[in-house]
Amino acid sequence: MPASDIAIVGYAQSPIAATSASEVQLLLPVVRDALAMAGLGYGEVGFTCSGSCDYLTGGPFAFLFNLEAVRAWPPIEESHLEMDGAWALYEAWIRLQGGDIDTALVMGSGKSSSSRPADVWTLQGDPYYLAPLGVDPLSLAGLQARALIDAGKATERDFAEVAVRSRRNAASNPHIGAHVGPHVGAHVGPHLGAAGELSVAAALGSEYVRAPLRAHDLAPFSDGAAAVVLARGDRARSLCERPVWIRGIDHRIEPHLPGFRDITSSASTSLAARQAGYHGGPVDVAELCAVSSPQELILRAALGLPADTLVNPSGGPLAGNPVIATGLIRIIEAASRIMNGSADRALAHAAGGQLLQQNLVCLLEGELWPNGVP
Amino acid sequence: MSGPSPAVARSEGPADKGPSLMAWRSTLTYEDELSPELQRYIAALLDGRITGHRCPSCSRVYVPGKGFCPLCMALTTERDEVAVSDRGVVTGFTVITPVAYPGQHQTEPFVYASVLLDGASSVLAGMEAGQDIIGIPHDQIRAGMRVRAVWKEPADRSMDDITSRGWGCLAGVITGFTPTAEPDADPADYRGSLV
Repeated sequence: MPASDIAIVGYAQSPIAATSASEVQLLLPVVRDALAMAGLGYGEVGFTCSGSCDYLTGGPFAFLFNLEAVRAWPPIEESHLEMDGAWALYEAWIRLQGGDIDTALVMGSGKSSSSRPADVWTLQGDPYYLAPLGVDPLSLAGLQARALIDAGKATERDFAEVAVRSRRNAASNPHIGAHVGPHVGAHVGPHLGAAGELSVAAALGSEYVRAPLRAHDLAPFSDGAAAVVLARGDRARSLCERPVWIRGIDHRIEPHLPGFRDITSSASTSLAARQAGYHGGPVDVAELCAVSSPQELILRAALGLPADTLVNPSGGPLAGNPVIATGLIRIIEAASRIMNGSADRALAHAAGGQLLQQNLVCLLEGELWPNGVP
Repeated sequence: MSGPSPAVARSEGPADKGPSLMAWRSTLTYEDELSPELQRYIAALLDGRITGHRCPSCSRVYVPGKGFCPLCMALTTERDEVAVSDRGVVTGFTVITPVAYPGQHQTEPFVYASVLLDGASSVLAGMEAGQDIIGIPHDQIRAGMRVRAVWKEPADRSMDDITSRGWGCLAGVITGFTPTAEPDADPADYRGSLV
């Protein structure tokens, strides 16, 4: 069975906003809506896979409570990862290769508002060497940005331009809430907000959070959840008018210590893209899991994106970052543009670990000639 | 998150005789804004009442109300709120002999019991609820034993430990459950509730 035989046929995402709802309450409507979009009922999928994070939830077995959102009785075939939901999608894609089932449900969820993300990710990302030094994600992002400037690959103006475009795009994203969550900048300086107009000059005039990065260069930490339904072959065609075919998907990882790698590039992203079948051809849309504006520049270069590719039309993680769902939402945002016909070919990227340590790339296509090649 | 503590930080061995070790204790702090369902549940508990949600589809009663039925997937609201008894049956239990570790405040053997309250369909699971069985030697505790909640004085009730990560915590408002001396329940009445 060819890998291109699996498609996205349904999806949903929650508002990206701080909420008092529990994680399972966040998942409940997105699972319901993703299944409904695919025309499937609870219990009608062959496999369920979820991404959640115990460090973020602040307790063991986060996935267990979340399973109540999918109706896990009578018993279902289920798996889960301590990773972004994009990797749950990867596992479901692998599971579908077995050929004995033809549908799968994938979800990812996280609530950042209960914790102090700068502490959580410091411990989760490297509890051995860097955590005792207090190297938080903001400081690491600042080091990466500085390295990029020192290497002559980007300027602070380049960063600001990424952030300005992200905010402009986010203004038309209906999922971005008024309160996207505890913004990293909120702890150390004025929070500029995630969506809406900002000029490059005004951006460059604002204070540093971690030089050379300013508040708008850094993603907030949000609450949110997302779900995707996958289907295989003819089942996908029967469930969906325009299935979004996963032409290739791959993920690669690098050493977790940032000092062991070149943080001004992303070798694992380049490799994952090639393994997913992308070699630099035309792409209408790319949704990239960049949690700092420099990371978007790094990812564009690592993927070898054409200049005319629309990058993060949703606003990307800089506008809303429900960690553990952020990567799966990139796949949904890319897929939705194929589903509605505004794009034919898209790339989606998800990241895990510190400073783009692990990267997943997914090449998506609509059926170019549904009635056969002309 | 705390930094290195002078009390525990130490080096072992000179650098030229192998690796040196550093003990480093870390802490993460979480602050939950509880869901509206849990906030109502807590308000009732502090008032000495245990409440749940009755599923409008299957009539199962969940303590506390989750806002939905995980079997029917029907949504529930405060309109579906019902009172349940503070008496029930022990469906399972573990006698725990504590060993010392950071955060463990118990020093003597204690019990985590699962209790199915009269009028409820969901079990208050031991790990979540932290329910001790009191007033009876540990070797006489058994599944099927009828128990009632021993409420703390209103001024001593606290729900500081309840979180949105678990369900059904009573530990802040009751001292534990104690036998009622009623005849044991028929296993058929609680079979399937052995969380």
